[in-house]
Amino acid sequence: MSVGAWTKKMLEAALFDEIWDAMKVTFKHMFHKPITFQYPREQRIIPDAHRGALGLLRYDDGKERCVGCDLCEAACPSRCIKVVSAEDKSLPLQRYASEFYIDITKCVFCGYCVEACPVNALAMTKMYEYSTHDKRTLLFDKPRLYQIGEHHLADAKKYLYAHNQEKNDDMFHDYRYFFPQSVVQSTQPPPKHLTS
Amino acid sequence: MGLKPATNPDVEPAPIELQIDGKAVTAKDGVSLYDVIAGTGKIIPAMCYHYTFDPFGSCGMCLVTQEGKKAPVRSCTAKAASGMIIRTEGDDLFQARKKAVEKHLSVHPLDCPVCDADGHCELQDMAFQHGVTNLAAAKQKLIPEDTRSLALDFNMNRCIACGECINICKDVQMIDALQFMKKGGFTQVVAKGDTPLVCEFCGDCLAVCPVGAITNKFSKYLYKPWQLRKTTTTCNYCGDGCQMSVETKDTEVVRVTSLLSWKNKWGERSDTAKGHGGLCVRGRFGFQFIDSGERLKQPLVRQNGQLTPMPWLETVDAAAERLAAVKAKYGPQAIAGLITARCTNEDLYVFQKLMRAAIGTTHVDSSARYGHLNFVRAVRRSLGVGRMLNDSEEITKAKAILVIGSNITETNPIAGLRVKEAIRVYKAQVIVADSAVTNIGKLASHPLLIKPGTEGLFIQALLKAALEEDVIDAEAVGKHPAAFAALKQALAGVSLEALAGATGVTSAQIREAATLFAEAPRSVVMCGDGVVRRSGGYQQVLALVDLLWITGKLGRPGCGLNTVVEEANEQGAVDMGVAPEFLPGQANYEDDQALARFAKAWNVTLPTGRGATLMEILKRCRSGKIKALYLVGENPLATLPRSCDVQAALEQLDLLICQDPFMTETAKLAHVVLPACTFAEKDGTMTSQDGKVQRVRETMDSLGESLPDWHILAAIGSRLGCAMDYESAQDIQREIMTLLPGYYNLGQPKKIAASPDAYYWGDGYAGEVRTRYSSLIARRSPPADHSFTLTLGQLLYHSGKLSTRASGLMTIAPNSGRLRMSPADMERMGLTDGSRVRLTSSAGAVELGVQSDQALLSLACFFPEHFNEPPVKDLIPVETDPVTGVPAFKQTAVSIEKV
Amino acid sequence: MKDQRGAPPLEDQRTTVYKVNPAHPESPTLPTLRTEELLLNMGPQHPSTHGVLKVILELEGERIVKSPPVMGFLHRGVEKLAEDGTYHQFIPHTDRLDYVCAMYNNFAYCRAVEKLMNIQVPERAEYLRTIVAEVQRIIGHQFWLGTQALDIGAMTVFFYAFRDREILLDWFDELCGARLTTSWYRIGGVERDLTPSLLQKLGQFLDYFPPKIDEYVVFLEKNRIWLARTKGVAVISAQDALSFGLSGPTLRGSGIDYDLRKYEPYAAYPKCEFSVPVGKNGDTYDRYWIRVEEMKESVKIITQCLAQMRDGPIMAEVPSVTLPPKNRVFTNLESMIQQFKLFSQGFDAPPGEIYCGTEAHKGELGFYIVSAGGGKPYRLKIRAPSFIHMGAFDFMSRGYMIADAVTIFGTYDIVMGECDR
Repeated sequence: MSVGAWTKKMLEAALFDEIWDAMKVTFKHMFHKPITFQYPREQRIIPDAHRGALGLLRYDDGKERCVGCDLCEAACPSRCIKVVSAEDKSLPLQRYASEFYIDITKCVFCGYCVEACPVNALAMTKMYEYSTHDKRTLLFDKPRLYQIGEHHLADAKKYLYAHNQEKNDDMFHDYRYFFPQSVVQSTQPPPKHLTS
Repeated sequence: MGLKPATNPDVEPAPIELQIDGKAVTAKDGVSLYDVIAGTGKIIPAMCYHYTFDPFGSCGMCLVTQEGKKAPVRSCTAKAASGMIIRTEGDDLFQARKKAVEKHLSVHPLDCPVCDADGHCELQDMAFQHGVTNLAAAKQKLIPEDTRSLALDFNMNRCIACGECINICKDVQMIDALQFMKKGGFTQVVAKGDTPLVCEFCGDCLAVCPVGAITNKFSKYLYKPWQLRKTTTTCNYCGDGCQMSVETKDTEVVRVTSLLSWKNKWGERSDTAKGHGGLCVRGRFGFQFIDSGERLKQPLVRQNGQLTPMPWLETVDAAAERLAAVKAKYGPQAIAGLITARCTNEDLYVFQKLMRAAIGTTHVDSSARYGHLNFVRAVRRSLGVGRMLNDSEEITKAKAILVIGSNITETNPIAGLRVKEAIRVYKAQVIVADSAVTNIGKLASHPLLIKPGTEGLFIQALLKAALEEDVIDAEAVGKHPAAFAALKQALAGVSLEALAGATGVTSAQIREAATLFAEAPRSVVMCGDGVVRRSGGYQQVLALVDLLWITGKLGRPGCGLNTVVEEANEQGAVDMGVAPEFLPGQANYEDDQALARFAKAWNVTLPTGRGATLMEILKRCRSGKIKALYLVGENPLATLPRSCDVQAALEQLDLLICQDPFMTETAKLAHVVLPACTFAEKDGTMTSQDGKVQRVRETMDSLGESLPDWHILAAIGSRLGCAMDYESAQDIQREIMTLLPGYYNLGQPKKIAASPDAYYWGDGYAGEVRTRYSSLIARRSPPADHSFTLTLGQLLYHSGKLSTRASGLMTIAPNSGRLRMSPADMERMGLTDGSRVRLTSSAGAVELGVQSDQALLSLACFFPEHFNEPPVKDLIPVETDPVTGVPAFKQTAVSIEKV
Repeated sequence: MKDQRGAPPLEDQRTTVYKVNPAHPESPTLPTLRTEELLLNMGPQHPSTHGVLKVILELEGERIVKSPPVMGFLHRGVEKLAEDGTYHQFIPHTDRLDYVCAMYNNFAYCRAVEKLMNIQVPERAEYLRTIVAEVQRIIGHQFWLGTQALDIGAMTVFFYAFRDREILLDWFDELCGARLTTSWYRIGGVERDLTPSLLQKLGQFLDYFPPKIDEYVVFLEKNRIWLARTKGVAVISAQDALSFGLSGPTLRGSGIDYDLRKYEPYAAYPKCEFSVPVGKNGDTYDRYWIRVEEMKESVKIITQCLAQMRDGPIMAEVPSVTLPPKNRVFTNLESMIQQFKLFSQGFDAPPGEIYCGTEAHKGELGFYIVSAGGGKPYRLKIRAPSFIHMGAFDFMSRGYMIADAVTIFGTYDIVMGECDR
């Protein structure tokens, strides 16, 4: 090691040069806007794709989309969904979910149920603030899930668009599930995409 | 088309040799190529094929290439021939099969989300396996779903016209209720004549439907296969012992499926002879009683005249204390027990052990007493065996079958299927002697309509005809000349013509039947409730034994005497010794050695002497000799006619314990009511009528606080100081295994052989046979004004009182409350459906509506035994068999007047 | 204190024996201490030790004589869970292995299943996978840098590293909907394409990030405490590192140039130019240096991928394995059937076994799948680098001070979620 280098090193050691360097960086940051959000006064902007609490959706005319096919239950990796399906007695041969439970304490928010749903009845929303003192309220039942779906309808739709589950176009707006028809009573006109 | 293995079991078809995928294969001649390929272990996809019926060839999936032919051939309808060179794999075949799937998919609706077959759908599997994607726009049929039938829905949008439903209905069930019909431009499956489907509702069409075109109404939309827990268990309805899969969701039974389905399509005729795995209407649609809302969920103890819920511990204490009090006050013989033969072997064993070892009474009986014991006692007496002689395969392959007094397709439909297969595949001659037009009669070669209640006379006429036609087996009778002489002597007093006149068939018909039966190489007899549940049933079974003996059928392979039983485990009840005359293993209770063996095994001193049978127990209750009665699943109040005065008998008791899944009429009188599980919630075994010991498995957690019967019985037994520390049904099985080695036969019963020699050498035979035939003649003397014969019998859709708790069966066959009469009688009396009549017998009168029933003969009327509303059962006087103590209360003479 | 049989009584080995002054039996005077090894339980605690770990340190003074780690506090039976679900359903479970870097776990697992099913992933999906995997690598190294420095006593780096990590986590959130438990990879491709907004944000980050790396380095490179506590600490020779099966920066720190991205190139790595930094001394400092360099390399890889990437499908189309696009499910029966079969029963994997290793930022993350046919794995074994590295912990910590145990533990970049599984 040359004398110059040695002297420099000694000087740096004596003057705690590395501290000065580090301090320079630190002091520079005093003029930055702090990046910390003061939650809950400030809130993060949640992206559209965000996988938050699940909600059930309706068609635009208010009818339930869910046909109770139980595929979400099969797809769920944490087995947190329970669907009880039945025939809608007022509308012969229409299947619906008479009960629908999501144990949100078990949910892993993977979004597979939404991906599985063949009628896009489920969607994830940006809702994430539902902490509670009573753990039992975290078993979301059907009314609660529809309530979430209604309150966060715009977010839910954005979620579906973001994850390529649905497109914001006419085909999807017109789409509705066509149930088998009964000889006794016909409850639904056949949809356009099946008759053409 | 007959592309199935040759139907004569005596002739082995010639072997042929062909080449499949480069390997030489030997096969039987005249067999479908598909069967040959399947036999090598290769599985070719096929959607319209099922081994139980002849190939149909509609799906176009089973394509193979045959050298020398340009286009692929359908292997199912092609006949295997010697020297064929077949290739079953290859990309060209895969593409051809894919085309076939695409054809079906192109007209299939987008129904998967709501389809009940989703996840159990062959079309799905095929489409998935063949990687079908991006078809051109699918054409939709838009056919409305036919929901008119009571049990099945037909969605013909989903139908792929494979014809499996039609074929199994026509070929296997021989009912032929379905047909193809071209409607709205599409070939559809409809009920015959496009009417609402009314059939036996066996549901085999549902089981083999590879898509969701036929669905179960009672579980419609309630499930997807991945939600269900599927457990294979034994059906609880009749003695056929069918295996079925109970599919549950938590504590809810969603559906019952058979082992038969489109998934097990590979097999051959020798497999179907053992049973094809199907179910009947009761097994498939009668499951709702298991999770019924009427189930008892808590133990109840009577306090201040009211049944009040009580915790288990206190209830068991109360029951045991009160039993001990009765025992202390009146002695152990003042306690009696009755158990239903729907319980498992383990329950039955623990019950008789509780009564005999823990309490020390000899009065213990089961519902096998209502008829099956007539059969068991008779064959034990004469042949030294304790159950029916043939297994289902032997019945299927018999050449002559005598079905007597049994509407076998209704009481035991799966045993009935064996007879149907004998007719269809093995071309058996079937003689059906019944007092009504039965379905098996319609299929049989020799249907004989006899007058109600003359089954005994008919047997006698057959014997007489056999003697007169000289179709006697000289070797068999030659061994016992004295007995044969006595028999001839006994039959000498009456002419065949007189007997023929009494039974209502011509003597020529009887002669023909007797000859046919005697000359066939393999002849079997199937007798049912018309024989064993009638007065004189014991003697009638012995008369059948005589018939088999003189025609030389006893001891010959493939021949024998058989019965069908109504309750699932009647054979098990007898085998487990739940009868005063038997110890477990059918050991004679009065055999001191056997008694000592069990006393040592149980480490107690057992009471001696023969106990009272069912009717005697009730009589002693009435007279006050019996002070406490323990009923397990039995409901004598609803079963027996009022003349037995069951109510009075039960009210006399100091203590009545009822252990039942339901609040029965009898339980309402009880002091202690213990909620028991149904068969679906417990482990154990049941013994079918042909001796197969089969597993009953726990399909779901028990409902409410109910417990398995053995558990309750063992708790009370332990509380009474008898060591019964069983922790599971396996513990009981272990004990039974040490006492009865070889009893658990895993569904493969040991073949039993008749040994009639002791009986026919015996001194008693001559005396017995004389009274046997004279008493049969004497019985025909109804009061002059009672010209009609009322029969209480079983319906296809019901079994005992249990099935009336199953809402599915009640939907299919509700209680009409009407007496069934022949149309001719109704016309003669000026009656129409729904008009009311007064039904009078020696025991009383009842007013009720009538309905016509084509099956009935003139002067016969019928009421289902399952229903007590109106109380037709109370009209019938009870006659108790002097030997076996079996009560007969299913038939009587009545008069009918229009009101 | 030996008894007749020669062996010391068990309890005496573990307790300090006080000698009682016979004159004053009630008050022990100055005890005469026996010299013997001290056992010290370090942990189990959470979360500063990257999960819950206990180490039983056997000390002689302050020197570590032996340090067997006790693992399993975070065991969740993930491998067993895999046997209960379809192949597809296991992806969210892999998020929870190394919960700091879920994307790489997804990637490694999907690669293994694709190898089993013999699926070719479309080109664009390969680029997307590489980009996101490298973003995840940056996150992983940032996380390591921050926490390691914090463990050793330098706090500032932690803040800066985590500040930049936040940017990427938010980017993940926008990409797949979750910051940590991503489940973005799919068997046969990826779930969602990059949107213009995501591309723009990533571009911004790539400009922003390299200077920030220099900023982290300022705090450490010359920091004499950092140097004293990393240089010559947790040294392992190349031979030993190989024997212990170490991988990733931990192995490369000892001078062995082994990187699966170069050795068994996968995804878009063969199409990118990047170098693999290799250390010399095999100590913590070298590993630190490697990780810093790798961040720079990652930036290079991402930039190249973005430049090379062309439009195209992001999912392989193998009808019997990959999910159909949702719009087809509504109108097309074959796709509906695919959807139902895949979600309820899974695809039918051929019987056989495969192993597929992937170079995660911690080391070689391997999935070993035994398939007996059918929709579920018969057995799934995860070769988690953290677990393998913990095997060397005892060996590497002998002779160091107690305080170095933290450094040694951190030097592998351990996450117990992956280690215990």
